[in-house]
Amino acid sequence: MLHSQRRRKRKRDQGSVEMNLAAMLDMAFQLLSFFILTFRPTPIEGQLALNLPPPVPLTQVEPNQKSGDGIGDVLALETLHLHVTANDQGDVRELKVEANSIIQGGFDEGNVQRLDKKLQSLFAIQQIPYDRIQIAVDGRLRYGELMKIIDVCHRQRLPDGSNMQKISFTEVDSGTSAK
Amino acid sequence: MSEHNSDRAEPNLTPLLDLVFQLITFFMLVINFKGASLDLSLKLPVLGSARPLDQRQSKLEPLLLNIDSEGGVHVYGRKVEFEQHISNEARILKDQLRLNQTPIENGELPVPVIVRADRGAPFHLVNHVLKVCQENGYRQFSLNAMSREEKR
Repeated sequence: MLHSQRRRKRKRDQGSVEMNLAAMLDMAFQLLSFFILTFRPTPIEGQLALNLPPPVPLTQVEPNQKSGDGIGDVLALETLHLHVTANDQGDVRELKVEANSIIQGGFDEGNVQRLDKKLQSLFAIQQIPYDRIQIAVDGRLRYGELMKIIDVCHRQRLPDGSNMQKISFTEVDSGTSAK
Repeated sequence: MSEHNSDRAEPNLTPLLDLVFQLITFFMLVINFKGASLDLSLKLPVLGSARPLDQRQSKLEPLLLNIDSEGGVHVYGRKVEFEQHISNEARILKDQLRLNQTPIENGELPVPVIVRADRGAPFHLVNHVLKVCQENGYRQFSLNAMSREEKR
């Protein structure tokens, strides 16, 4: 008992060095304020990666060349063509898959499913191995509407089980597509 | 006795300082200065199949373009003449590649263009920007979209 009292007294005599933490706390609070004020959580965005070389003619047709001789014909066989026209508001007016009109009017949820089913049925045909989709787009179409169409195309499954990756789009003159 | 009365009660600031330092560490870890390059006023299209891509493999910075609903291109919050901006960026990149002795194959720049376009922008305006990028040697494009509708 006496021993412990003596030890405590010695400790008090030595005196501990106490740092003034207030200044450090001030600085820490300033740093914290800076980080809180500049903190802007960025939304997590998805990305659709595309490789877009500049448009070039697929084949240069020789004067004596017959139809079906070129590589372009093989590419054309594997390419599914979509043709989208828009109204003045930029909404989808008509969507054709090859020559067949699939959608008329806006591209709402029902029409999204209709296009999805149509593409699924086309991709299920083994005799025509489509491996790419080319979308001819009316220049007036809103970008958001086009992305919805690309989304449906991207969901399509190829025979090897992978998703459709080869999607390209070309701009069609509004005057031409309105006809 | 009088000395004892004059003793002031000093709060122990150490736990408070610990807490503040932990908060600072958190904010330092999550801070993202690249966020300043994003125009958060744009309404990006919603694309269910859009997935975040890993772009950390490349040491070169991608070209980021924010396209508003009128087709204007914004870079770091400033509206720019996009034809001039893209051509300047391409020229700087080519110089950088030349200095690094990286070959440019077929005139194709090995850097992606990140396109953040407003969903209301007409396609011909977005396509015009893409064409200018193609003319300057860019071939890889990344179209940004939200994977689900965001609440604002």
